Amino acid sequence: MERSFQAEVRSLSLGKGEVFRGEGILAVTKALLQSGVSYIGGYQGAPVSHLIDVLGDARDMLDELGIYFENSASEAGAAAMLGASINHPVRGAVTWKSTVGTNVASDALSNLASAGVIGGAVVVLGEDYGEGSSIIQERTHAFAMKSQMWLLDPRPNLTSIVDAVEQSFELSEATNTPVMLQLRIRACHVHGEFICKDNRAPAISRKHLIEDAKFDYGKICLPPSTYAHEKQKIEQRWPAALSFIREHRLNETFEGSSTQSVGVILQGGLYNGVLRALQQLGLADAFGDSRLPLQVLNVVYPLVPDEIVAFCKGKTDVLIVEEGQPNYIEDAIESILRKNNVLARVFGKSVLPMAGEYTGEVLLRGITRFLETTKPEGVDLQHATDVSSDLTGLKNTAADLLDGAVPNRPPGFCVGCPERPVFSAVKLVQRKLGQIHVSADIGCHTFGTLPPFNIGSTVLGYGLGLASSSGIAPLMNSRVVSIMGDGGFWHNGFTSGVINAIHNKHDSVLLIMKNGYTSATGTQNIPSSIKTGETAPLPLDISRALRSVGVDWVKTVTSYKVSQMADALTDAMTTGKPGLKVIIADGECQLERQRRIKPVNAKRLKQGKRVVRTRFGIDDDVCTGDHSCIRLSGCPSLTIKPNPSALRTDPVATVNQNCVGCGLCGEVSHAAVLCPSFYKVDVIQNPTLGERMLARIRAFVIDRLAGSRSLSRAV
Amino acid sequence: MIKPITILVAALGGEGGGVLADWLIGAADAHDFPVQSTSIPGVAQRTGATTYYIEIYPVPRSELGGRKPVFSLTPNPGDIDVAVASELVEAARIVQGGFSHPRRTAMIGSTHREYAVSEKMAMADGRYQPQKALDALRAMARSCVLFDMREVAWRNGTVINTVMFGAMAGTGVLPVSRASCEAAIRASGKAVDASLKGFAAGYSMAKERQLSLADGPGAGILPAALHDVIRAGAELTTDYQDERYAQEYRTIVESLRHLELDAGGGPAECPVTREAARFLALWMSYEDVIRVADLKTRSTRLERIRKEVSAGSEDVIKLTEFLKPGLDEMLSVLPPKLAYWVARRKVLTHKSLNAGLYIRTDTVSGFMVLCALRSLRRLRRHTSRFRNEHDLIVRWLDAIRRLLATRNLSQAAYELALSGNLVKGYGQTHARGRKNLQAILADIDGQNLNLTDGLAARIKLAGRLAERIKLAREAALADPEGHELAQALGLPAPEPAFKPIKFVRNKRAA
Repeated sequence: MERSFQAEVRSLSLGKGEVFRGEGILAVTKALLQSGVSYIGGYQGAPVSHLIDVLGDARDMLDELGIYFENSASEAGAAAMLGASINHPVRGAVTWKSTVGTNVASDALSNLASAGVIGGAVVVLGEDYGEGSSIIQERTHAFAMKSQMWLLDPRPNLTSIVDAVEQSFELSEATNTPVMLQLRIRACHVHGEFICKDNRAPAISRKHLIEDAKFDYGKICLPPSTYAHEKQKIEQRWPAALSFIREHRLNETFEGSSTQSVGVILQGGLYNGVLRALQQLGLADAFGDSRLPLQVLNVVYPLVPDEIVAFCKGKTDVLIVEEGQPNYIEDAIESILRKNNVLARVFGKSVLPMAGEYTGEVLLRGITRFLETTKPEGVDLQHATDVSSDLTGLKNTAADLLDGAVPNRPPGFCVGCPERPVFSAVKLVQRKLGQIHVSADIGCHTFGTLPPFNIGSTVLGYGLGLASSSGIAPLMNSRVVSIMGDGGFWHNGFTSGVINAIHNKHDSVLLIMKNGYTSATGTQNIPSSIKTGETAPLPLDISRALRSVGVDWVKTVTSYKVSQMADALTDAMTTGKPGLKVIIADGECQLERQRRIKPVNAKRLKQGKRVVRTRFGIDDDVCTGDHSCIRLSGCPSLTIKPNPSALRTDPVATVNQNCVGCGLCGEVSHAAVLCPSFYKVDVIQNPTLGERMLARIRAFVIDRLAGSRSLSRAV
Repeated sequence: MIKPITILVAALGGEGGGVLADWLIGAADAHDFPVQSTSIPGVAQRTGATTYYIEIYPVPRSELGGRKPVFSLTPNPGDIDVAVASELVEAARIVQGGFSHPRRTAMIGSTHREYAVSEKMAMADGRYQPQKALDALRAMARSCVLFDMREVAWRNGTVINTVMFGAMAGTGVLPVSRASCEAAIRASGKAVDASLKGFAAGYSMAKERQLSLADGPGAGILPAALHDVIRAGAELTTDYQDERYAQEYRTIVESLRHLELDAGGGPAECPVTREAARFLALWMSYEDVIRVADLKTRSTRLERIRKEVSAGSEDVIKLTEFLKPGLDEMLSVLPPKLAYWVARRKVLTHKSLNAGLYIRTDTVSGFMVLCALRSLRRLRRHTSRFRNEHDLIVRWLDAIRRLLATRNLSQAAYELALSGNLVKGYGQTHARGRKNLQAILADIDGQNLNLTDGLAARIKLAGRLAERIKLAREAALADPEGHELAQALGLPAPEPAFKPIKFVRNKRAA
């Protein structure tokens, strides 16, 4: 685990009336406990990893309440868990990273939505759309519509979010329908406060077990039950949802203080952004009093037609603020208004961009355009336009001053990452064998596609590296390489990739990055993690799993041994043996390793015990500034600095203070026959007496042998 | 109407931006001010650029009568009161995003650079010009407090976020007191003393900067004047070989200078000579095993390394050198004829014979190996490598001279002088550089320089030639495989070092 969450666990036990202060996703976790859930599951991924991490550390509290929690094998597994609520009145919640997670979970979700639930079933989705997102840009909305699941998108403050969690369970139970709650990435990470309630122990729990199993053919996804489900969705569940949303006022209307001729209908999650844009334009105050009427959709699916009609009646124009495409909400509202003969014109994607995140700047521009076009009474249009053009013009002024964009800084491998050397090896092998087709996968290793490596031609999904090679491999005149992380291997890569390759007799090469955790999502444990804890007490072994399904060619190579890795790869690429050849690149995630080692070493140092610290360095005067080492390694701690020489103009390579001494620099300079400027230093703190004596003798002799020349650098 | 105070923190993964945001929240809480923070961590924390955004409403909750301010989750254009960046380009990125307003924003940033991968991997100098960023910061912010915070952090044994926090407080733009900032640091409970020290240092630096306004960092390196270059060149060649070698260097440079002065028209600065002198000295001091051994056995080196890895006086250090001399390196110290004879034996050159050596230079035996290699210096003039390098140096200098001697071609000569930078490095890198320069020299040889046509035609040719050499040089540095160079010179694309592999077809496919 990336860190310990003991402090967060404490805030989960706050009682009624106490103030919770912390992150959005942690507030959701607390809200689940306040809602009386019986079971929780999920698969990690930003921005909801935190929910799983914290619950993993909150075992004692969960046990006390009788709540079952598991870190599911995949999103599909998590979604299937909700099956508990089909026949029994138990509340359950699962979580994952949206779109990518929902795709994996979709089979179980469709079946769950068809059968319906009697206990509240809620999916907490981290909607990762826009700036900083690491996934494909799609909306969850489409999934909610096609499977008939209700979708909540609450205002992004902790009180609203916590309320939405509790309302989701109630809505789910009132309508026999699973509910999805989407939170944008910033809302998950928002730090705020809300007033707590007591945690609720569920009626059915690990402490109060279900006595009788139930059977009801009506809940089974086979005809004719499925036909009945489809009708229930429309005839019972939908109307029930509309009346629940209406009666419990899940959506909010804010009257405008200056004008009633226009209004804004917006997704709840965008409320704060819209309000800030209005503030900037002088149309709202710091506390949310808006001069334009606002209709906030905390439930974005289904829409309640009479609420929309009531809001739009008497207005000439309404603006729909809906992030992402297609514009489902805008089209639906247009349709509702026309069917009900409401004349208000609908603006949406006509003044706001069709695609992309609705950042502050986008909203500012869009709202200004809406006002300019509709010229509502009671709004100082001139002021708004002036402000808007002043603020949005800053970017252009800055661009002129900066004269070209500043260098980009995409994420990359951490200092000492064990996956980087593997890509160095692939790069070296490509020098000999020419360009290789590499089917890449999801994980930290996806960064291998970035400079300086640019390795990986396709990325199709988590654990799908090998599976995605099965079309291209038979069509290529040389073998292809696939990449998979150990997280992806257990998630689905073992079945969809390895077993499929054996079954269909593929002849290709698979590189498994075994770093011990799902590192990209915050180093959660997986079945093969060495540490015991929340998962299996006995770690599963990847190479044994491979051999058990008939992979004969398996080599395990230490990740940092670049030459050995290059040899193994060359061997795999050129051997006469048919079939799948697997290389396991074995090296623990450095982030996690450093976290493990640092406190141990600090303690030893304090006790006066011997500690060896390794670092790499570069001789400035030997380095000639070609930077081949950087192009082959890409370590963040391997960087450049101005050349101390008066003659040389190119910056020299240098190893900065962050070096953890993984040894890759040396390995690469050997494997690639680079320059002799690298040196390794083992600093022995608290050395033994013998070591100290020997060092003194050596220093004495070396001092006499050493050259006395020294090049003055001051010119 | 009181507006929230908006604070945008730009940092890199691992610099503690999140902790800084937590401190700000803690300080605001101490004043009972409503506060909110958001961030975009996720993958960005893995070394990428990341931002944290904090809003503080500077009125105690108790005075708000239960009303809650609506905070934004994203920074809006021109809506930032305090922008703080842990690095120069990150500060510029805030400006680039349109967040900084010249009438509103206080910009607090570190002037040091953490280079992006695109800057680091360039084959020569791919660094972003810091001056552009500094000018933009000053133009786009109400006030600027800029200094090297990384250095201050190192000096105080802390992480940069403490210095950033201190600088924000010291600038007086935060709505919270110094005492509440320090209390927030104490409450976080980790490395408290070091953090407080960093905070105090940042605080006083910011105060000082505000008074002096002299916040210029080490601006771009000025091009050294001719005599500085020659002096450094002579010093380097003496250090590399001996006084006589330096004398030879001076003679060559002197002859070039006369030629350039004779060519007239050029500024008194003699740019062609200056650049030729620069790269000539470096080339004459090419890095062979003797040189490497020499540099690695200097008495000053051990001290330097101890300092660099911050080893305490009581600590023992082990020092391992990574040397991988190949056949070429070994041959290069043989006399030319012998080297040629060996190189022709196919058996030896068939396979790369690079032997990875790990030499422990903290041991007497390891150190002595290098001392032995160092002692070959006196024989250097008789080695095959010396002959090879000087042959090409002569060709290069001749071409420069020829261009200088031809009317209107001094710009081309200048570009060719700069092309001396192509030959550098070791092993394959060096071989590649040589090949690239040879291609450029061959290209110049192929040009008809002695046009008898009119002046206009000659000037046109001159411009074209200079441009051609410049493009070729840049192309040579743009990609390691030499495709771009070939394209620039209109040559066929280089053969890839491609070995066909024996591919065993899928049985079913066959």
